[in-house]
Amino acid sequence: MKTIAIELVFFAALRERFGARMRRDVPRGTTVRRLWREVAGASPGLSRLPVRFAVREEYVEPRYVVRAGDEIAVFPPVSGGA
Amino acid sequence: MFEINPRRLDVGRVLAAVRSPAAGAVVVFTGTTRRTNAGRRVERLEYEAHERMAVREMRRLGAHAKRRWRLERVAMMHRVGVVPVGEPSVVIAVSAAHRDEAFTAGRWLIDRLKEIVPIWKKERYRGGYVWIGAQQGGGVPQRRRRTQAKARG
Repeated sequence: MKTIAIELVFFAALRERFGARMRRDVPRGTTVRRLWREVAGASPGLSRLPVRFAVREEYVEPRYVVRAGDEIAVFPPVSGGA
Repeated sequence: MFEINPRRLDVGRVLAAVRSPAAGAVVVFTGTTRRTNAGRRVERLEYEAHERMAVREMRRLGAHAKRRWRLERVAMMHRVGVVPVGEPSVVIAVSAAHRDEAFTAGRWLIDRLKEIVPIWKKERYRGGYVWIGAQQGGGVPQRRRRTQAKARG
């Protein structure tokens, strides 16, 4: 099966859990939702965390299909403000 | 002015950024680190941001608010890094012809910032910390934090 290389970039609690970056080879047609399920799958609780995704500094929907070379930022729930 | 800033926030500078001869009202919101949260003594806060995206999202919120409430000017500044108790983490200023629009827009801006701008807060206590919103802290018992995060001012 043809695969493409992408990179996940993590922030805050997720960065502490996975490190800042993670390279993955995934099948063509993979959505960010599926990608995250695979990454989070091994950690109970994590897969239920309502994460958001961003590509090229724009939020994308969970159904976004990754492209070769994408950097996919994975955000835990934001908590700015005091 | 839309800024992520690692140093102590200068409220006067944010205020000055929204000055306008057409403005009859200026509203400033400052969000400040509290000594206690949910009964626990907070030593300090630490904030992390996706800086470029945070600035972009704040700018977008500002532009939207400006159109919706016919504001004169909007400025938003959020601090990152360590924030000691008592110092502001966020400052938002809005100027408008009349106070109703300024108050409403200011409230909307801080609410939206807390919902979508990619900034994360870590509360440090003696002997541990919690990433607010994520329930992924180290060293501190996991608790239901998301509802608390929403309830705070």
